[in-house]
Amino acid sequence: MSLNDRLKELRENGINDAKRAQHLQDLNDLRVQLLGKKGPITQALRGMKDVPKEQRPEIGTLANNVKKDIQTAIESRIEEVNKRIIAQKLQEETLDVTLPAQSHEVGTKHILNQTIEDIEQFFIGLGYEVAPGYEVEEDHYNFERLNIPKDHPARDMQDTFYITNELLMRTQTSAQEGRDMDAHDFSKGPLKMISPGIVYRRDDDDATHSHQFHQLEGLVVDKNISMADLKGTLEALCRHVFGPDREIRFRPSFFPFTEPSVEVDVSCFNCGGEGCRICKYTGWIEVLGAGLTHPNVLEMSGIDSNVYSAFAFGLGPERFAMLKYGIDDIRDFYTNDVRFLEQFKGVN
Amino acid sequence: MKISIDWLKEYIPVTHTVEEIANKVSLTGIESAPVELGTDLSNLVVGHITSLKPHPDSDHLNLCQVDVGQAEYIQIVCGAPNVAEGQYVIVALDGANLPAGKEIKKGAIRGQESNGMICGLDELGVEESLVPKAFQKGIYVFPSVEEPGADAKELLGLNDQMVDLDITPNRADTLGMRGAAWEIGATYDEKPVFKDPVIDDSKVEDDDNLKINIEADDLVQDYLVRTIKNVQVAESPLWIQRRLWNQGIQPVNNIIDAANYVMIEYGEPIQVYDLDNLTDETISVEMATDGHKLNLGKDDTKDLNHDDLVINSGDQTLGLAGVVNGTSAQVDDDTRNILIESAVFDGTSVRKAAQRHDLRGDASNRFEKGVDTGAVEISLNRTVELIASITKIQSISQVIVGKQTPAEPTVIKASIDHVNRLMGITLSADEMIGILDRLGFSTEQNGDELTVTIPTRRWDMSIEADLIEEIMRIYGYENLQGTLPSGNETLGGYTPQREFINKLKNILLSEGMDETINFGLVSKQEARDFNYIDSEYTRVLHPMTEDHEFLRTSLIPGLIKNVAYNKARKNSDLSLFEEGRIFDRESGHDRPKEVEYIGGIITGKVGTDSWNTSAKEIDFYDVKGIVEELLSFVELDSEVEYRASKEIGNLHPGQTAAILFDDQVMGYVGKIHPEYQSAHSIDDAFVFELNVDKLLAQPKKNVKAMSAPKYPSVTRDLAILVAKNITSGEIVKQIFNDGGQYLKDVNIFDVYQGSNIENGHKSLGYHLIFQNSNDTLTYDTVEKAFTQIKTGLINKFNVEVR
Ligand SMILES: [Zn+2]
Repeated sequence: MSLNDRLKELRENGINDAKRAQHLQDLNDLRVQLLGKKGPITQALRGMKDVPKEQRPEIGTLANNVKKDIQTAIESRIEEVNKRIIAQKLQEETLDVTLPAQSHEVGTKHILNQTIEDIEQFFIGLGYEVAPGYEVEEDHYNFERLNIPKDHPARDMQDTFYITNELLMRTQTSAQEGRDMDAHDFSKGPLKMISPGIVYRRDDDDATHSHQFHQLEGLVVDKNISMADLKGTLEALCRHVFGPDREIRFRPSFFPFTEPSVEVDVSCFNCGGEGCRICKYTGWIEVLGAGLTHPNVLEMSGIDSNVYSAFAFGLGPERFAMLKYGIDDIRDFYTNDVRFLEQFKGVN
Repeated sequence: MKISIDWLKEYIPVTHTVEEIANKVSLTGIESAPVELGTDLSNLVVGHITSLKPHPDSDHLNLCQVDVGQAEYIQIVCGAPNVAEGQYVIVALDGANLPAGKEIKKGAIRGQESNGMICGLDELGVEESLVPKAFQKGIYVFPSVEEPGADAKELLGLNDQMVDLDITPNRADTLGMRGAAWEIGATYDEKPVFKDPVIDDSKVEDDDNLKINIEADDLVQDYLVRTIKNVQVAESPLWIQRRLWNQGIQPVNNIIDAANYVMIEYGEPIQVYDLDNLTDETISVEMATDGHKLNLGKDDTKDLNHDDLVINSGDQTLGLAGVVNGTSAQVDDDTRNILIESAVFDGTSVRKAAQRHDLRGDASNRFEKGVDTGAVEISLNRTVELIASITKIQSISQVIVGKQTPAEPTVIKASIDHVNRLMGITLSADEMIGILDRLGFSTEQNGDELTVTIPTRRWDMSIEADLIEEIMRIYGYENLQGTLPSGNETLGGYTPQREFINKLKNILLSEGMDETINFGLVSKQEARDFNYIDSEYTRVLHPMTEDHEFLRTSLIPGLIKNVAYNKARKNSDLSLFEEGRIFDRESGHDRPKEVEYIGGIITGKVGTDSWNTSAKEIDFYDVKGIVEELLSFVELDSEVEYRASKEIGNLHPGQTAAILFDDQVMGYVGKIHPEYQSAHSIDDAFVFELNVDKLLAQPKKNVKAMSAPKYPSVTRDLAILVAKNITSGEIVKQIFNDGGQYLKDVNIFDVYQGSNIENGHKSLGYHLIFQNSNDTLTYDTVEKAFTQIKTGLINKFNVEVR
């Protein structure tokens, strides 16, 4: 057999062997065996000395091509085998993706604090500061500075937990108004604040009363603050909390520390004003009390009521949350049953 | 107060439905609700009992022949004890509807035909306490002749419609029909028309005998009386009776009814007395003598004291001023001569007396909130006129003045510009004056200034802001366009404390803890159980219950309550926290400091039992892990120390650590004591509590950026045998002490005690990580440090290196 034919035979056998191989190891072995220094091609080329000189370049080229072709055959087979192995692996690793995951649960913020923070964020966006207050407050700030002197009948409207004659558990976050007005430097611009917090009243706890609940007070003092400003601000708040289509209405009311005073109703978010159980078939839901700060209250903080005016409002986060989520027992906020708490994950 | 539409029509035209009126009045003035009476009543007529005979088969029933305006008399069987021939009565005819779905059908009663029912007022839905006494135990009898077959519902006022005004304390001017007519009239731009009382001058005589002493001058603003001689006490006419019971007032007799009627009409409480029961015809308005009693009849007496303003005559007390009359001079069937009192007493004094004696009522309610001091005399005269019109009288006295304070109208000045600016609208002077005129206020304009004269009936008005409210509400809030405050921009935001609290809360939420909110007022026991801050207890003076009597000194009792509550509802794997105030009072101070705290509790299992995982019982190191993560966000400049502590609250003495920075206690972490745990019916639970304000006050770490290390670290493992009482914390501290500048981290990977370990000892294993950020560490450098560490541990703690 000529060297030429021998090389061609080696090529054919090599390619066939590569194609038949089933494992990566066999292919590696084949590569070493056929193309290595001790392999048959190298062996065959020892017979080159018997080839006439003029044919030698041709044989050389052939030998290189044979090596290349075998190499290519082995590599392409390796690729095939690899693909098969991966396909098999993927098949074996297929999971039941409907099985439950490993849980990594994040906790739930209390729904009252979610409600409060939502309102806080709204007002921070309008440039309001969030002022904390005292839960134990002086009679002076809780009542007298709010135009409710001793013996005023309005003190009957809110029964108070006193600690001493002059100290009490605050009954309203409005108690913060006097402190904030005293502290504010009006030469630096208007006072715009909200003050959320816990308040206390001497009530028996039942489905609609709690001796402890939350309030959020708002106060803006500047030159030219008007009833229209109050309406626009509360309109925007109610749309933020209860939905963009809400309307509000003012009804005259009475608070000793505002004049004029109003109750604020929001159009029913459930029925849109048609009338339903939630709005007691009126189309409106009472959500907060507000008004222009009484001149006496401003004057007691040394603010000239001829130059400055102010609006104030107070709202109940419990009431907001109860309305928004249909909670019908105020005690649910304070018993902290985790099934109650966790249903509000991420609502605000 | 309920405003009768029938009555209101005497003063203003009423053309709208009661629903429309209630809605409009709610939006412009006073929260109101429509009331429609008698919607469940039908087929009620006047019947005249022409004859009556006993039922043959009954000892208490009668067979009545009744003229009900039909061609023939009808027979009705009646069992009422007060039924009698000649009476004009209420008949429910066949097919009549009564309250609670009751329907009357003709039929037979013990074999005798009965074509309807003769009714009592209570059967028509009038509350029994409002039915005149004579008719409480039987049928109602009309006081006068009525047309048989006439509509009884209408005669009894039971088809009236009313607007129920739910007044705020400043609008007591509408606690009278005339005030309400002004208010509703202003809403509809209708001025009410009133007739002033007219007294027959020919009957007026001087009464020189009566003497009035006003002793408590500061509590009595006005005190006027008139006397009437020879009245005939009888039942009131029906038109008075029906208006009273519709107002929730029981008709008694014509004199008392007239006084009550005028109170409703004018809003002025009027009292009447039997003049002949006065001692020496003297009246003294003075403070009660301690121990004196006021007799209210039927064994009901009130013990008076020196804070009570009373009406005395000689040594007998006639009444508690502005609150209630006693029985000693009450007007009854035997009364011939009467004294009528119209007065103004101090509201606070009346309110306190009414509260003190639990006697709040129509009169005290009006004095508390204020009355029109300009209507004292006119309402007195109206009472005289009314009595004279419904009963025969002999003579009337002049007005006898105990005290009279002239009632001056209030004058308020307002700037048109200022009023408009505060409202945020632009009304012309004429528009404002027009609105004020609807309210009956007269106004003079001088340029920008309005001078408004307020009648005495609107004593709530005193300053410009009050006028703004009136103008605004009558103009209509619905016409107000909302704007936002247009002043200088302000920077909003949280305080640094609140920012910090928000951050801490977010860490605990991300640790899987649910946020709770508990009560600030707790029981004495709860205030005591975890009072590790050693605060004095702060108590509220008048707690509603012992459960909420003291201000809390720790968040832990609330969290334990939450765990117990949840466990009782089969929620046993819990991870809860609360951020809130605790109250720390120093002895000698009344006011406690309010300190922000954050605390948590975990109990049950961590992780879940599932197809590929298993839950693990929570232990001390789980809660400590939460605390460590929390503190890693505090950016503290100093090291956190966990100091084993045996004496914190009701915590396990062997599984509790105080948490310290620079020797300052910040809080604690530990396990609930087994005894406390079983007393509260909870499972093993681990808690922590940290003083947020103290954490916030700590110096902050100054973070300077550095590149990630370019050179590899070297890890050496160290295994030692050491006495059991030496803590890992002490070992690690020592390792760092001796480890040189390249020792970066020490991680414990093994704790073992038990077999193969010498008694009283434990085996600890640590990975020590060395790193030089500027160069590759040499073997010699690490070896040298490692040797120093071992030597240090041997010298200090006598460890055996394994
Ligand atoms: Zn609705």
